[in-house]
Amino acid sequence: MIKLNPKLSQKFSYLLLCVATILAIVPVVVIIFIIIKNGASVISWEFLTSMPKNGMCGGGILPAIVGTLSIVLCAVLITLPIGVCAAIYLNEYAKDNLLTRIVKLAIVNLAGVPSVVYGLFGLGVFVMFLKLGVSIIAGALTLSIMELPVIITTARGALSSVPYSFREASLSLGVSRWQTIRHVVLPNALPGILTGAILSIARISGETAPILFTAAAFYVPHLPHSPLDQVMALPYHLFIISTQIPNMPKNIIYGTALVLLMMVLTMSCVAIVARIYFRKRRKW
Amino acid sequence: MRKSLDTIIETIIFICGMLSIVFVVLIFGFLFKEGFAFFKDFGVSKFITGQFWYPSSEPASFGILSLILGSILVTVGACLIAVPIGIMTALFISEIAPKGVRDVLKSLVELMAAIPSIVIGFVGMVTVVPLVKNIFNLSTGLTAFAGAIMLAFMAIPTIVTISEDAIRSVPWQYREGALALGATKWQTIRRIVLKAAMPGIIAAIMLGIGRVIGETMAVMMITGNAAHIPHSIFDPVRTMTATIAAEMGETVRGGMHYRSLFAIGLVLFIITFIVNFTADLFLGKKKNR
Amino acid sequence: MVNKIKVENLSCYYNEKCVLESLNIDVVQNEILSVIGPANSGKTTFLRTLNRMNDLDITYSRKGDVYLDDNNIFDMKMEDLRKRVGMLFAMPIPLPMSIYENIIYAPKRLGLITRKSYQDTIVERALKDASLWNEVKDRLNSSAMRMSGGQQQRLCIARILAVNPEVILFDEPCSGLDPVSTVKVEESMLELKQKYTIVLVTNNVKQASRVSDRTAFFLTGKLVEIDKTAKLFVSPKEKTTEDYITGRFG
Repeated sequence: MIKLNPKLSQKFSYLLLCVATILAIVPVVVIIFIIIKNGASVISWEFLTSMPKNGMCGGGILPAIVGTLSIVLCAVLITLPIGVCAAIYLNEYAKDNLLTRIVKLAIVNLAGVPSVVYGLFGLGVFVMFLKLGVSIIAGALTLSIMELPVIITTARGALSSVPYSFREASLSLGVSRWQTIRHVVLPNALPGILTGAILSIARISGETAPILFTAAAFYVPHLPHSPLDQVMALPYHLFIISTQIPNMPKNIIYGTALVLLMMVLTMSCVAIVARIYFRKRRKW
Repeated sequence: MRKSLDTIIETIIFICGMLSIVFVVLIFGFLFKEGFAFFKDFGVSKFITGQFWYPSSEPASFGILSLILGSILVTVGACLIAVPIGIMTALFISEIAPKGVRDVLKSLVELMAAIPSIVIGFVGMVTVVPLVKNIFNLSTGLTAFAGAIMLAFMAIPTIVTISEDAIRSVPWQYREGALALGATKWQTIRRIVLKAAMPGIIAAIMLGIGRVIGETMAVMMITGNAAHIPHSIFDPVRTMTATIAAEMGETVRGGMHYRSLFAIGLVLFIITFIVNFTADLFLGKKKNR
Repeated sequence: MVNKIKVENLSCYYNEKCVLESLNIDVVQNEILSVIGPANSGKTTFLRTLNRMNDLDITYSRKGDVYLDDNNIFDMKMEDLRKRVGMLFAMPIPLPMSIYENIIYAPKRLGLITRKSYQDTIVERALKDASLWNEVKDRLNSSAMRMSGGQQQRLCIARILAVNPEVILFDEPCSGLDPVSTVKVEESMLELKQKYTIVLVTNNVKQASRVSDRTAFFLTGKLVEIDKTAKLFVSPKEKTTEDYITGRFG
């Protein structure tokens, strides 16, 4: 084997790494490009705000948008307070003992359970056992458990970025532990917690498998009236029109994908930008 | 008054802290309850090693060997693509790219992670699938290979983010030591940095594998969903996740078929538990060093 | 002479390792007691035990008792104790809020403010007592993070004064400050002596001789000597004390 000159081998390796990075990044750009190029033409106010027509081959996707928003908002309202409290427990109260190790292991495990297994769980517990039926609330509960580990992890990161000395200063004045958390730690961790929450909203808006058997309906001719209604959901709608209905006009499929993608990406970008912004103007 | 309010809130916080444990136990319990009922009727070994998945024929056969092989084939294929690309990207981002470029690249990787799997599945269906069909001259492009490509895209963000973390947490002194001895920057990266970051990188790979095994929608749309034992990566396959997602709608609630899908869920749960537990051990090792 | 704090047979440990051994010491009301000694002499551990800040550290344990006005501090509620025994840290730690909010923070949380109109009075009094009022009275609503180090440290003093403590613990309060700011902090300490009892832990032997009434010398977890400052610095009983204050080690 020829021994390469170290300088030359460095150049060659850097080139290789650069190519790999391009390979990793290009798909994002290509996917977004394909969807926008083919989908942009159908996007109109009418597409966003009207009901589907002709067996979904025409009209708009309003019920799917409304359905997704209602499931996701319910899910976040459930998971955010629980997740933040759990993060407070882990970061501020938990001692380094067996119980804490088990809690952490549980969180790691929850984060790794496949989304379709959450779907099974939601079907078994919320739809069947608690008799909520296929409904917004059953889907939201399923998604909220799935999102719990993510919220806990990001909230914990935000809490632990608040300097320990702030807590000491407050405690040394005789302020109780909870009051210190409530009035010193939480306000300073809030930007981080909120960016985490936005990222989770983005993530669960695109989830299909967990709501497959818990919330989503093939077609509902009206907007949801109560949390116990079945709804259409954007990702599920995209799944149906792209695989289950033959002769579906291609531009409607792309348009639906574009709406979903934009919803998710806009929220992600907002969160990323917000995070950079708050990090820059942090006071400590 | 103030004191008792504090106590109430702290109790609530404690309960929320414990909920994660409750949920894991509940999930396992529910899968186990339905799965166990199924195993009593059908038998574990027949379930795991049976070659035929004919859930609705008479008599029904619930062998998931072909589904397990399908999952493994797609996962291995995706990892062969995603692991080298992911690690190299992580190295590029953390060691070579200038600061401005690094932030842009990291944001792009994060955006990739945010794209819903259903969208990736759809794009794969209209681009990669026909491409695979034409290039390799197959009767259908809906194959394990096409699935592996799309799943690799989904595993890359996970691998990059966690490996990058691990590489960045290698202390500066390690690099300075090597550079001071006259090693080039690349030699330092390859021999010192990569080695020191290895536990974190292994964890990243494990978590990437976890993500791929659990992936459902994209796989269901691209891999062809044929429940037979695959002979090559260019065969259509059906994974465990896709089976659950595709068939749950047709089952009779509480019936044998319904329960068999929970049993598959149980298998998936156990696999991902082991994968994540191992990843966590490696991450813990990194921290203790 | 009234003893404000009485320490009886106090031993402290981190992870079973003894850092302070059977300490007996009294703090007299309205005096400044300074504690000097080299690193690892246990002086900061002693100070942090007096308002139980060390209880936050899970590796910490202790034996022995400390009495505040004849009440055992380990039987008291942590919050009540810390309200009566305030603490100033080595680095100034203003909370990330305005100057005004920093001072009103603890009184608010402790429920000391019964009427809203009291707030201004409390803030003004605390800042005046910490001799900071003239410098900041026109910018009470600007962020405390934008003050100079010396101002921040005096703000922290004012913050402690706002809850009306009886004892104030100073943990090397000038180690991060320039000489001019140090003088200002020392001046406010001498002012505060009229109303409060002060325990000062310092690495700066000269500072101890300038401000304190009595001085205690700690070495490797033991109290070597305690006496009137004037006496200890002129004619110490122990050889090690003399070596330390004359700068032969430490």
